[in-house]
Amino acid sequence: MTGLTAALDPALAAGVPLSVGEVVDLFTSPTEFASVFVEGLAKASLYLMIASGLTLIFGLMDVINFAHGAFTMYGAYIAGTAVLALGVGSMGLVGSVATFLLILVGVFVLLAVLGVVFEVALIRRLYEYPPIYMILLTFGVSITMEELMRMLVDYYNVNSGREAIDWSIPRDETIPESLDGTFNLLGVSIGGLHPFQILLGILTVAGIWYFLNETRYGLFVRAGVEDDEMARALGININRTFTVVFAIGSGLAGAAGVMLMWSPLWRVNVPLALGVLLPAFVIVIVGGLGSFKGTVVASLLVGMLDALATWAFRVEVVTFTDIDQLLIFAILVVMLILQPRGLFGVEGQGDHG
Amino acid sequence: MTLLELDDVHTYYGQSHILQGVDLSVEEGEVVALLGRNGVGKTTTFRSILQLTPPRQGSIQFKGEELVGKDTYEVADAGIGWIPEDRRMFSRLSVEENVRASVPGDASEAEALELAYETFPILGERADQRAGDLSGGQQQMLAIARGLVGGNDLLLVDEPSEGLAPKIVTDVGEALLAASESLPILLVEQKLGLALDLADRFYVMDHGTIVDSGKTSEVSVDDERLRRYLSA
Repeated sequence: MTGLTAALDPALAAGVPLSVGEVVDLFTSPTEFASVFVEGLAKASLYLMIASGLTLIFGLMDVINFAHGAFTMYGAYIAGTAVLALGVGSMGLVGSVATFLLILVGVFVLLAVLGVVFEVALIRRLYEYPPIYMILLTFGVSITMEELMRMLVDYYNVNSGREAIDWSIPRDETIPESLDGTFNLLGVSIGGLHPFQILLGILTVAGIWYFLNETRYGLFVRAGVEDDEMARALGININRTFTVVFAIGSGLAGAAGVMLMWSPLWRVNVPLALGVLLPAFVIVIVGGLGSFKGTVVASLLVGMLDALATWAFRVEVVTFTDIDQLLIFAILVVMLILQPRGLFGVEGQGDHG
Repeated sequence: MTLLELDDVHTYYGQSHILQGVDLSVEEGEVVALLGRNGVGKTTTFRSILQLTPPRQGSIQFKGEELVGKDTYEVADAGIGWIPEDRRMFSRLSVEENVRASVPGDASEAEALELAYETFPILGERADQRAGDLSGGQQQMLAIARGLVGGNDLLLVDEPSEGLAPKIVTDVGEALLAASESLPILLVEQKLGLALDLADRFYVMDHGTIVDSGKTSEVSVDDERLRRYLSA
């Protein structure tokens, strides 16, 4: 292939060595392609966990929760502390994964309770006001939560005096070795964490789908998303439904933080709050504001493209390190030009269909 | 026994004084028509009763209980059903889900669905369709069905014939007549003939107050007594 390209245009072939050939290799090599595909699914699962709480809360309550990322960051720190305190690093694979899942559930519950306090004490007071008040409130809470965590990190010297803000110890010391490396399945190279992340992503989708479509509260949520005034007039206590949804959304944000703790690309650190907020917003907007189906599809889209970009960087088709970030925002820009209300957005309303 | 009693109700939209001292009552077992031109405050009266637009002054008693100050869902739980002007389906929910969303927490969903489909068989046939895909007449039936299964003791019915073909209006009228056998109704209806057919008593509203009232047997469609407040 390279020879053919060189024959056609020697200058181009010399300038971009191997690039065309590598791209063709990806799509002609099933194992390479499968490997990128699995990585895409794993990334999509993480994106889904980050964005799903945000989309649930926005869909029903029209609250743009800028503190969402801070909840994720707190989830990561709580999980990291628990992992260290329980000595997960010295457990075997089964023990450490089981403990990890217990911590995941515990963090979900803790952050859900924090979400209830946040909603009842602060958010609820501003429903009647223009959205800018809610944006300022949640943004303020986010900054407060970030600075509080920064103070705690400094006080307990978790960075061991290093300048780096990255609190990387839990990952390096606590992840089971079998999950840290890669393994081979039918000749396909797969990251140890990927099946684990995909499984939890599927569980998240199934859980939210079940809540929305098979439970009475889910029915109330979908009714309230369409017409909250009519829902009230039919006897639905929308305020309590709001609180339940805010609790679930906050719990999901925290659970996402637990997942990110072991992911080498994210890990536990204070800037995680802002770091997850940006892709979460992009996914919610691309999927269509408030649409859970849209969030799932947008997560898959962004996850797959992210995996492709990572692959392109790895095989040196591109050498620009922030290619994945660039790509995420390119998707946003293209979507806003082609279809501003997103893939599954409904004019003026959220949609949990 | 008096079921619903409004006493000197004043309601505002912002600075606009819409209801300027409304007094009316609905007794057990009767259908009461609320008549008047567009914009005199009929729908606002319903919104005030439901606490969707809470009155700033006055009292609204239902079964002897004060409604002013309650939340809308509590008014619904107390037993007041609303069949609003534009029907307000949850259009992306199925017909069945629309009915289920209207069932009070302690009641059986299966019984509610049975009652709804028995009253309007067409709804049973379309149970899994999105409510938004129903025709106008079918949506009105679904709106009435939601009121019927809501465990209500009073229905507030706003413009049920609006935008429907004459044949469908007859069906809807019959459905309301059947409903009124078991449920008292406070009805807003522009078609005077239909309103007088269904109701036992009437109130006439003008400029946010009640200006006339009486038994429907005392008046006819062409009566000057009604015409002066109803014609444009």
